Amino acid sequence: MTIFARLENWKEQGAISQEQYALLSSLSRGEPFSLFLELNLLLYAGVLAFVAGLGWTVATWSQQLGDVVVLTVVSAILIACFWYIFSHALAWSPTETPAPSPVFDYVLYLGSLVWCVELAYMENRLGVLSGQWDLYLLATAVLFFFLAYRFDNRFVLSLALSSLAGWFGLKISHWSSHQDAMYRQCALLYCLLVGGGAVLLQRRSLKPHFFNTYLNIVANVLSWALLFGVFEPEGYSLWFLALLVACGVSLAWGLKRRQFAFVAYAAVYGYIGVSSVLIRGINGFTAVLTYFVITAVVMLVALVQIARRFGRLA
Amino acid sequence: MRLYTASSEETLRASKLLKDWAGEGYLTKEQYQHLKQETISELRTTNIFLRLVLFLFTLIIVAGAAALFLEGFLSRPSDQTSGIFLLIFAAVSYAAAEVAVSQARLYRYGIEEALAVCSVVFLCAGLMFAIFSGSYPPKPYQAHSVVPAAGVVFSLWIWRRFGPWYAFLAAMIFAVFIPGYWTSSPWAQHLIVVAFYTVGLICVAVVRPRHRFDYLDDDYSLVEAFLWLGIYLAVNLQLSSLNVRAQWWVGTQAAEFPRPFYCTTWVLIWCLPPVILVRGTRQKDRFVIAVGTIAAILTFVSNKPYLGWQRHTWDPILLGVLLTGVALYIRRWLARGPGGIRHGFTAARLSGRDKRWMSIGSAGLGLVSPQSITPSAQTKSPDFRFGGGASGGGGAGGDY
Repeated sequence: MTIFARLENWKEQGAISQEQYALLSSLSRGEPFSLFLELNLLLYAGVLAFVAGLGWTVATWSQQLGDVVVLTVVSAILIACFWYIFSHALAWSPTETPAPSPVFDYVLYLGSLVWCVELAYMENRLGVLSGQWDLYLLATAVLFFFLAYRFDNRFVLSLALSSLAGWFGLKISHWSSHQDAMYRQCALLYCLLVGGGAVLLQRRSLKPHFFNTYLNIVANVLSWALLFGVFEPEGYSLWFLALLVACGVSLAWGLKRRQFAFVAYAAVYGYIGVSSVLIRGINGFTAVLTYFVITAVVMLVALVQIARRFGRLA
Repeated sequence: MRLYTASSEETLRASKLLKDWAGEGYLTKEQYQHLKQETISELRTTNIFLRLVLFLFTLIIVAGAAALFLEGFLSRPSDQTSGIFLLIFAAVSYAAAEVAVSQARLYRYGIEEALAVCSVVFLCAGLMFAIFSGSYPPKPYQAHSVVPAAGVVFSLWIWRRFGPWYAFLAAMIFAVFIPGYWTSSPWAQHLIVVAFYTVGLICVAVVRPRHRFDYLDDDYSLVEAFLWLGIYLAVNLQLSSLNVRAQWWVGTQAAEFPRPFYCTTWVLIWCLPPVILVRGTRQKDRFVIAVGTIAAILTFVSNKPYLGWQRHTWDPILLGVLLTGVALYIRRWLARGPGGIRHGFTAARLSGRDKRWMSIGSAGLGLVSPQSITPSAQTKSPDFRFGGGASGGGGAGGDY
């Protein structure tokens, strides 16, 4: 039975009204056909191409154009973007707010990326921050967090989170004897800060729809950091224990909230971590293969049980 | 031919549409709960994340079991012996996939998909080892094309039987390797690939109208989009050359191809995008429209290297302005129509799926974009004239 026959049937049963029938059957025929997604992707690609070209041009021609011309042009674009977003923005609300116009989010995104270009230019060319790239990244992250929360924009929130991660990474590279362990600790600190901040903001009901973005990033960064600790030849026990706890929490959260991405994280990261520890004690290629076949069967059975219990919920 | 009945797949489609309509507020919660009972399918499905993980672990099991068998039960087998066993594994994997669907009623569940994928891989590897590896006298080089040809045929069978879109894509990729065994001429290879895809496109165009608005429409839409994209990529010599990265800046040398062929492909890369876009808009086909747009952008990007013209650093700026301008113009033009609709098209969001994709995409793309736009230190460009400020006209530093 096609969807049209079903709609006809439901209309005759009185399950849907005549107006609903007309609307749903026309939607099923693609009338009208929405180009919403395509136009948004085109705008995104346009902004990205523009900023990439701007950065490339500035980097290549700065000597010929001169600092004044470059800074004037880039600043003019930046000011125009920020003038637009501040003059068109709706009043701030702690809940999800729709963009005041279809292009608003992209102007904000353009402004944020142009800010990166301008700051990178000033630092590279004029040395405004005397080589303190970490400060530049921290300031950028703070600005982007402010913009993301003020204008309810996930693009800019992601920029903020990656800038903050960059700050953590750069900060540690300035330390004299940085090691992989330091990076791992830094990643844990990042997760603690971002995760803690996300929980705090969620509890205060400040843009609670951002919470999932935070959680996904924290889950992945944390799992990678712990996994690399588990891969260490010695002194990996604590990391292994932490990975098991993290996977357990991720699994419980995923099942409780029906967010199966977290179940997948727990399964994959947990399997890699446990396997890397257990395989160390196994000698011989055949034994390793046997291990993988048996453990993968166990995982498959467990996941099928989860899938059967929760069906298509997502 | 298909493992699933039309009514089962129609029911699943109806279930998805109901969920979407309820999410958008076209149906009340009570209506949704009531109608949902009528769209319960006997097929067992799961969500995308569990599907991916189930796929992964099934792959591990099948690959591990095959390797274990070859390692444990055969001591130093010859290539032919390994090939024969790989062909047996292909048959076993395929049979297991069939059983998983017919007995357990799995539908896009990951497990049956991984088994089907493994059967294609085992088949191609098995054929390669069993027939061609170390055979004496050596088989003619042309005969080796039977391996990708088998890959094409079996992938198409998997696509028809189980329905995963990536099986069709795999068939298209296998098809790319066939002409290499038949001729050493690059232009002939391109022509043969285009011919393969064109035949596929004609078949799809003939079959598709029968499935307009039914559960197969999306499948055929995606397949047609892949075929258009394949034809475009095979025609665009700047993109389909093997050494794309090395030749990207200087462009593929026209001397590699006969001049009339090279010029014809240049004309075609300008003709194809409008043709694809017109086809997509007339059919109201999302995937074909997307491919038409991608082809148009690729034409703009590859035009200069095609003609041997010099690239400029500001080319992406112009492209960005063009893309943004086109998007804004279309949006405004559509919005000014009665009810925001013109010729059956609207810029408004009508589906909850679009919103979900936007949310996921904006979060994901926001994370990767800083790396792609961060400017690097100044390098000598093809049109760099003053040389790092040393000539006195540049500036203080040579690093920016």
